[in-house]
Amino acid sequence: MKFLGWKQVILALAGFALIILALIAAKAVPAEALSQVIEKAITKPSGWRNILKESTPLILLGCSVFLALKVGLFNIGADGQFVIGACAAVVVALNVPGPVAIPLSIIAGILGGALWALPVGLIKAYRGGHEVITTIMLNNIAGFFTFYLVSGPLKDPTSQQPSTASIAPSAELPNLFQQDTFRINSSLIFAIICVLALWWYLKRTVGGYEISATGQNVNVARFAGINVNKVIVRTMSASGGIAGLAGALQVLAFEHRFYGNFSPGYGFDALGVALLAGGNPLGILASGTLFGTIAESTSVLSRTGVPKGLSYILLGVLVIVFAAYRYRKEAQRGTDS
Amino acid sequence: MEPILNLLAAPGNNFVVTLLLSTLAFSSPLILGALAGLFSERSGIINIGLEGKMLAAACATAFIGQASGSPIVGLLAGILTATIFSIIHWILTQVYQIDHIISGMGINAIALGGTSLIAKTYLNISEKEMPTFPVAIYYIAAWVAAASIWYLLKSTRSGLRLFAVGNDPDKSRQMGLKPLVIRFQALLATGLLTGLAGALIATNAGKFSEDMTSGRGYIALAALILGGWKPWPTLIAAVAFGFFGSLQLILQGQNSNIPGQFWQALPYLITLIAMAGMVGKNRAPAGLGQP
Repeated sequence: MKFLGWKQVILALAGFALIILALIAAKAVPAEALSQVIEKAITKPSGWRNILKESTPLILLGCSVFLALKVGLFNIGADGQFVIGACAAVVVALNVPGPVAIPLSIIAGILGGALWALPVGLIKAYRGGHEVITTIMLNNIAGFFTFYLVSGPLKDPTSQQPSTASIAPSAELPNLFQQDTFRINSSLIFAIICVLALWWYLKRTVGGYEISATGQNVNVARFAGINVNKVIVRTMSASGGIAGLAGALQVLAFEHRFYGNFSPGYGFDALGVALLAGGNPLGILASGTLFGTIAESTSVLSRTGVPKGLSYILLGVLVIVFAAYRYRKEAQRGTDS
Repeated sequence: MEPILNLLAAPGNNFVVTLLLSTLAFSSPLILGALAGLFSERSGIINIGLEGKMLAAACATAFIGQASGSPIVGLLAGILTATIFSIIHWILTQVYQIDHIISGMGINAIALGGTSLIAKTYLNISEKEMPTFPVAIYYIAAWVAAASIWYLLKSTRSGLRLFAVGNDPDKSRQMGLKPLVIRFQALLATGLLTGLAGALIATNAGKFSEDMTSGRGYIALAALILGGWKPWPTLIAAVAFGFFGSLQLILQGQNSNIPGQFWQALPYLITLIAMAGMVGKNRAPAGLGQP
């Protein structure tokens, strides 16, 4: 069989046409938009800084969704776990003095995220409820719950907006490197370590093997003596923990406070990052950076008058086209065996 | 939701009538959306994309209506847009066999991005007055749709075929049914109903605003699940969710001790608890997501 079928080519062309159409509908000249992006986002140090900043949570959330996908679950709830993790981290950072606040807040974020994902794993394993539905419910509950917290009990009395107070400078994650407009925050190290740890865990440990086995075929895994229900609950909570870590780092490194509607809607982006990584966790670094670049490019474009909605169209097309191609590969493998 | 706020502020209306009317207003888009989901999920297509289809329909209804000045053109544009999205959904899940969750999320992303792009670029059109039908027409349509779907599923050959394809696509194929064709028809119905739901949401507000469905596609999905994929229970769940929504709005003005966010989160909480409580009882169509 050929590498790419005509069906996939048609879909890719249709997707490309849709993006061009969107640019034209937004009254932008596609060539001009591209040159703007290259000039302001891709070749400037301040653009690189923003790309790294955007990529950090995307890489971490990509790890979260990737891990859940390995066990066969769609963690659409990374968004809610991210928000809960960020909120938990802020609460600790505001109440613990000194630099000890950093590790404690990170732990709080991880625990918050893991706890928020726990019911998803439990309902999936013991009640057969679809994880996509429970995560959508939990995302919305997380949004309303944290909005209530920042407009009530956690609200900074001096602020007009629903927001907490800012954390102390000693609790902020420092920059690793800084020159002119370019800087790298130390949270990027966490993201890279997380990718490497995920790779090692999935490739080299028994726990990782149990996850892949369960993800590939639940019944075979069960016959092999794996406690499938436990693996599902464990993996889903770990996935939530990573999303919570992303939330904690977002607060400690960049936002320094928590506010209403904290997440810009990372759920779909995170799914895209994990899917585009293919089968290898190390691919998350590349796909996370790609999505970070898209985010920065569209925010450059939005300053020239092209609305940010373009980025959703771009990501939607990218994910659908990639999924169509990847499925084809898997289908061929399926018929061979 | 301005007309509803006017309704609440109107003097002389007693509490029960107000609550009843606003429950109708809140629940009708949910009923239409949930029934749309019922068609596609009964045929075996998981529909996370309800939200995007409703949003796209709301946008088309408002903008085409405002540009043309005719309510019927606006409504038809909304239905057509939702139907086009449904057909794209069918192509992606059936022709390309892309995972239903991924394709649904992709459709939502494209609808969210596309409508926000249009809303920001064509501000001059959205300032015009939107021609609308009386909302009562939509309320009646929602209940009539529920009744006809109940009849269709219970007593007709097509309903039986829909059930068969959704429960076991392989066996139904052996019986000579064509799942692809039946699913295409089911998704056309989904397009019509999400189109009506989106048009009603735009009509209620009198104009389009970014992300105006604000998760109601997902609440509709929750109603469908809570209703066990059956028409009447689904309708009751949607009405209950609409009741909570209007209760929240009424209590908001009255300094209650319970925060408004609690009422907003309640439909999601109830669905979650219900899913946790269903002991080994998975009532979803057995063939959901299968090719």
